[in-house]
Amino acid sequence: MKIVARHDEAPGVKTLRLEFQEPAEHEYFKKTYRTGMFGLYGVYGEGESTFCVASPETRKDYIECTFRQSGRVTSALANADIGDLITFRGPYGNRFPIEDFHGKNLLFISGGIALPPTRSVIWSCLDQREKFGKVTIVYGARTVADLVYKHELEEWQERSDVDLVLTVDPGGESPDWKHRVGFVPTVLEEAAPSPDNCIAVICGPPIMIKFTLISLKKLGFDEANVYTTLENRMKCGVGKCGRCNVGSVYVCKEGPVFTAAEVSRMPAADL
Amino acid sequence: MTKILFSDKLDKCVERWKSAGLTVMGPVQRANIKTYAAVEHASEFDFGLILTDRSIKDLFFPQTEPMLRYTIKKDAINTDECLPPREQRIIFGARACDASGMAIDDPLFGWDYKDEYWFQRRNESVIVTIACTNADEFCMCTSLKMAPDSTKGSDVLLRPLENSKGWQVEELTERGREAFKTIADLLQEGSDTAAPVAAVAEKFDLDACVAWLQNPENFDSKFWKEISMRCIGCASCTYLCPTCHCFDIQDEGDTYSGIRRKNWDSCSFALFTLHTSGHNPRSTQSARWRQRIMHKFNYFPSKFNANSCSGCGRCSRECPVDMGITETLQEISKLSQ
Repeated sequence: MKIVARHDEAPGVKTLRLEFQEPAEHEYFKKTYRTGMFGLYGVYGEGESTFCVASPETRKDYIECTFRQSGRVTSALANADIGDLITFRGPYGNRFPIEDFHGKNLLFISGGIALPPTRSVIWSCLDQREKFGKVTIVYGARTVADLVYKHELEEWQERSDVDLVLTVDPGGESPDWKHRVGFVPTVLEEAAPSPDNCIAVICGPPIMIKFTLISLKKLGFDEANVYTTLENRMKCGVGKCGRCNVGSVYVCKEGPVFTAAEVSRMPAADL
Repeated sequence: MTKILFSDKLDKCVERWKSAGLTVMGPVQRANIKTYAAVEHASEFDFGLILTDRSIKDLFFPQTEPMLRYTIKKDAINTDECLPPREQRIIFGARACDASGMAIDDPLFGWDYKDEYWFQRRNESVIVTIACTNADEFCMCTSLKMAPDSTKGSDVLLRPLENSKGWQVEELTERGREAFKTIADLLQEGSDTAAPVAAVAEKFDLDACVAWLQNPENFDSKFWKEISMRCIGCASCTYLCPTCHCFDIQDEGDTYSGIRRKNWDSCSFALFTLHTSGHNPRSTQSARWRQRIMHKFNYFPSKFNANSCSGCGRCSRECPVDMGITETLQEISKLSQ
């Protein structure tokens, strides 16, 4: 796939927009991609890395991925230029069943570099805004600089049909920071969204998910109405290489999207 | 009367199969490694081995193999998928545990994406198993509800004759019958009796172990820490195991050309599951050993209806710190009493 745009999101975090070179591959993607699915992005000579598809199912002319530059593959991706060719294998996995969310209020909760998978669902819903009720987004990062999609956060901030709550961890605020300071679960409890007719989608580091689930329980959310996506290390993406399982569940095949009820049945020590 | 293949005819059989275009493989001892390898003459076979050090897995799922080759030129990337070279093979003298191990992994390699590397080799191989008449203290097929003469995964089963002069022949599959047609005139009808199969003592109560593993409360048992205290995470057990199938994908090469390879990997390694963030779902050796046991006797059966263990005992036999599946399941048997 060809890189047609790249954007620096935060220190070490980049977004690439990719376009298909083969019409048949593009057709396959259009036919199969639904929000929540993931792929393996690669650079020959370096290898492949697994990330979600960060672009929504309502915009299938391209694929966007957002990643932190960390190892061999992500460094090669980060250093790739517009016009360069990289590989994409996918889309794999299950999806967020957003038709089931029609007519419901939506609460998105996300932390740090975990906004990309949530953002795919957010835009998939905002692109057909009339089908959903109230939309609330709670997003936090360690510092102001670490917030990703800053231009889109501004856009959501300005929309009257989206309620955006932004926060940074204590100590991460800048002098001109006008939003909340505090950890995501605390800020969520203060914002106290109603669980009535509401679906929550949460994505973040394991520690954030753990405490956010406790907060959602306090707020009265039913585990069956809370969705999350697990991002385990993967090599094959098709249920063979043997590393992404949590208990007997293969995240690549049965996930990555699970309800909190499903996650609570998994062995917590293996998450 | 049964069909008999006498040992003194084996060299002719090897010749016959080779002329028919088959690569003939079997248990051999080479450079102090007991393994399955291609032979030119029947004299190279070592049927005295209770079991080879390396499992038959090496012939179907090699330690490393190329998946594709790439070359990058200005504005173009060319890739060639590399399937294994076509090779019809007959593996003569496999053990029942090794042969069944291959059949155990078939559904795994076949669900969702069908692994062409695996199935090409599976479809091009005839496995001729020789029932065991000897076993050592590590053999544990009977504990896994199998036997020294199990037929799972085999195309032909041979039973050694009591007089050690050859084998009774049981053709089990079409592929086996086909391969033995080539040597039909070298077989004889006879009434020689087969030697009794090896007596392999049952070492643990499999059903009790599985029930214990399926109980979610035992996932956090302190037993896991105790049993895996000795584990040094060397991965020998997973590499020698006929059913362990985990792999890694790595690129070798430079910006202009190279190979993408599939290499054996192991759940014993911390890096196996390490996230970019530094979080590791299986961050301790005990969590990793638990994964191996749970995978074989709880997770894998829940998906594919068979334990991912064929009882060869290599994990215990070759472990540098004397732990393995046998020791672990023996302890679990005690716990579940």
